[in-house]
Amino acid sequence: MAAAPTEAWVALSAALFAIGAIGVLTRRSAILVFLSVELMLNAANLALVAFSRQWASAGTAVAMSGQTVVFIVLAVAAAEVAVGLGILVAIFRDRVSTDVDNLSEVRL
Amino acid sequence: MSDLAAWLVLAPALALLGALINGLFGRSLKEPLPGILATVLAGATFVLSLIAFVALQGRDHAVVDVMLWPYLQAGGFDLSLGMRIDALSVLMMLIITGVGSLIHLYSIGYMHGDAGHARYFSLMNLFLAAMSVLVLADSFVLMFVGWEGVGVCSMLLIGFWYQTKTNADAGRKAFIVNRIGDVGFLLAMFLTAATFGTLSIAEANQAAVTSPFGSATLALIGILFLVGAAGKSAQLPLQVWLPDAMAGPTPVSALIHAATMVTAGVYLIARTAPLYAMTPLASAAVAWVGAATALIAAYAAFAQTDVKKILAYSTISQLGYMFVAVGVGAYWVAIFHVFTHAFFKALLFLACGSVIHALDGEQDIRRMGGLGARMKVTGATALIATLAIAGVPLLSGFFSKDAILAHAFTSVHLDGYGRYGLYGVLLLTAAMTAFYMFRWYYRIFAGESRMDAKTAAKVHESPAVMTVPLAVLALFAVLAGYLGLPEFAFPNWIAQWLQPATLGGLTTVPFEHPALWIEWSLILASVVAAGVGLALGWWIYAVRNGAVFTGLAEGPLARLSRAGAGFDAAYRAIVVGAAEGSAGGVSVLDRDLVDRGLLGLGSTATILGRLAARLQNGFVRAYALAMLAGVTVLVLVVAWLGVRT
Amino acid sequence: MVVFAILAALMVIGAIGVVTLRQPVHAALSLVATLLTLAVAYIQLHAHFLAAIQVIVYAGAIMVLFLFVIMMLNLRGDEPPSRLGWIRPAAWIVGVAAAAGIAVTVFSDPRQALTAAELTGVFRGSGIEGVADQLFGRFVLSFQLVGVLLLTGIIGAVGLVQGKAAAMDRNVAVGGTRTSDGGR
Repeated sequence: MAAAPTEAWVALSAALFAIGAIGVLTRRSAILVFLSVELMLNAANLALVAFSRQWASAGTAVAMSGQTVVFIVLAVAAAEVAVGLGILVAIFRDRVSTDVDNLSEVRL
Repeated sequence: MSDLAAWLVLAPALALLGALINGLFGRSLKEPLPGILATVLAGATFVLSLIAFVALQGRDHAVVDVMLWPYLQAGGFDLSLGMRIDALSVLMMLIITGVGSLIHLYSIGYMHGDAGHARYFSLMNLFLAAMSVLVLADSFVLMFVGWEGVGVCSMLLIGFWYQTKTNADAGRKAFIVNRIGDVGFLLAMFLTAATFGTLSIAEANQAAVTSPFGSATLALIGILFLVGAAGKSAQLPLQVWLPDAMAGPTPVSALIHAATMVTAGVYLIARTAPLYAMTPLASAAVAWVGAATALIAAYAAFAQTDVKKILAYSTISQLGYMFVAVGVGAYWVAIFHVFTHAFFKALLFLACGSVIHALDGEQDIRRMGGLGARMKVTGATALIATLAIAGVPLLSGFFSKDAILAHAFTSVHLDGYGRYGLYGVLLLTAAMTAFYMFRWYYRIFAGESRMDAKTAAKVHESPAVMTVPLAVLALFAVLAGYLGLPEFAFPNWIAQWLQPATLGGLTTVPFEHPALWIEWSLILASVVAAGVGLALGWWIYAVRNGAVFTGLAEGPLARLSRAGAGFDAAYRAIVVGAAEGSAGGVSVLDRDLVDRGLLGLGSTATILGRLAARLQNGFVRAYALAMLAGVTVLVLVVAWLGVRT
Repeated sequence: MVVFAILAALMVIGAIGVVTLRQPVHAALSLVATLLTLAVAYIQLHAHFLAAIQVIVYAGAIMVLFLFVIMMLNLRGDEPPSRLGWIRPAAWIVGVAAAAGIAVTVFSDPRQALTAAELTGVFRGSGIEGVADQLFGRFVLSFQLVGVLLLTGIIGAVGLVQGKAAAMDRNVAVGGTRTSDGGR
């Protein structure tokens, strides 16, 4: 059985990323936006892992550095989620809705 | 420069020096310092001319060529700037600097107290420089430099009192009409260079005589030079600027528009005499243009009421005589008339100026009269000049005018081009000249006074600085003619002097030599014509006090005459009207298309701005979409590039 | 290939679920499914260690945290109609365009991958050793910084909540309600 080529994995990653982006733009509840962001991050991780497998022909060190980056991204994502959810809780605990459209003060 | 005659080359430089000093520092110099400086320098140029004249005596075919600067050498074409000092140019220089110096002296008195005193003298000196360059040039290019220079000075001096709009307009008109003529000059230069391969006058003349007689190219060159000359010398149909040019100070009119600049056209044709001798067609054109101009200008002078305008039309008419002379091939005769005309015309203008000065600016002859009693010198010299221009025997004008008439009658060069017609026209014009000049003199200086008491009390003779030049000019107006006595019976110095310089031995223009009785009859006819004109004038103005033909004086003929034979009206309708019409059309285009379009652009910017403002709506999601869209565009570009390779 | 197809389908369905489901809890659970499928994909890609980490950290810790917050805030998830109705179709178009662009780019330049046997040799088992080598070798600086980042994150999160809690306690002490806006 032939393994799926790198291009297929990358295309899949692109699709996930796009869906995540659509989610970010489309969802109005802050939590759901956050979920979509996590989806995007994971799509990027998938692409990194696929490329790391592709570079295996260049040696272990090169290939493994791809996976190491994924590892680091994971860690960063964890930290980001923690802080982000803290912010969300801080903002939205007292408001009635978590509609991001209400946060429309950022304008010229 | 071992040759004394070559020192004449310095003349333009001296005049230019005066122009620079007066132009740059004149305002800080107190009157009459600028005037004295200018006159002294003008006098110096006259001295140089005299020295050159004396130095050239006794030399056969005396020519001195002074090369100034090798200007352009391109392939086979060689153009260097140099000056040619021969009999013709020295004579012209004598006239220019001599009459010019007298007029400079006169101007010290005339322009006394004027705010632009220094500017005036600077311009007058500049004019002398330019005119000297024109006359001394040995190539068409350098001559054209002088040609344009005098045109500029003319414009600046006509519009000297530019604070009045009509004066500035007159200056502009003169320049523009001159420019039209200059196109002809330029085209002729191009054609000369193309045909003969040179722009040096002497070489062009030599090449011309080896060309086929009467060829079309020669004729075309001749006619194009005629266009240029007509512009500068105010011949039909480019004469419209000269009457308006009377807006300038009277000494300017005397120097530029009577004695010197306007004769540049005649000089040009005399310089290129060998070329014209080879083309009867162009010569006939020259002659007939001159004759028509002489007649129509004389007609226009009849009903003028401004003292200077009468003299302006008289100048145009006399220039017509000179053109006829060069047309029939009598080149020295034309220069002879330039010579005599310079004296009596300048005198007429200066006397005119004296009167205007005395009457505090009055220029309408209907408000003058009887001034001869109070202004004795002015009146006497004016009378001499009037008689001279009328062609009264033994005065200078008689000899030169008669020479023109005789040569027109006996021309072989223009046989078949209506030489007898030319003669007839000129004879009639002579009678008309006598008539209207008498009118001019009588209405100003004789008869009853038509001035009001206040003006009459102010009348006084002009100061010596103004009357001395008058007297000197009057003397020459009487004596100058004796240099050119009729050839068939008397010794004629000027013909011998000028012949080598004009035709230069390259070719000859034949004239008939009819029987003696015919020659004398011609002279008699001239005298009779002058007499008839004077008598008629006497009868109408002196005896009947202008009461005869009053109906005629107000009728359509008179109005046409006063309007300068309708040329100004015609030009206004055709040229100015067309220009204004197209300008109006373009302005409508400009207003509706361009301006509206630009305003539309402005409102487009506003609309675009409003649209763009909608982007700043404050919604985070919209901003995020914008960012994503930007990235997508980049991705698509990369994808497209990747697919292409 | 078959494995890939199945995994791909699962992931996409899960992703669309995240983006489309109305209730937050449903969306979060959908994301969990996607993440687990992703872990299986990592195994397929010879990143065994990462697969384990993905399950433990992402699906196990992060998603749990998400669910905590969802339930704590008691989010309903109704989404009333918005002024930006045009965003939904626009976003779909742009997103699909982006994905298509990337796919086209990638497929225009296909590369040859190693065989499974060779890959096993390269990745030497689960890959822990390899990751450790890189992490403490080439990426040691990044590793330390990530540690600092996590610390900062913890402190920040605690600090965010602390201030609010203190304000709420003061409120209660003065006789007000727990909520800071007057118990609306």
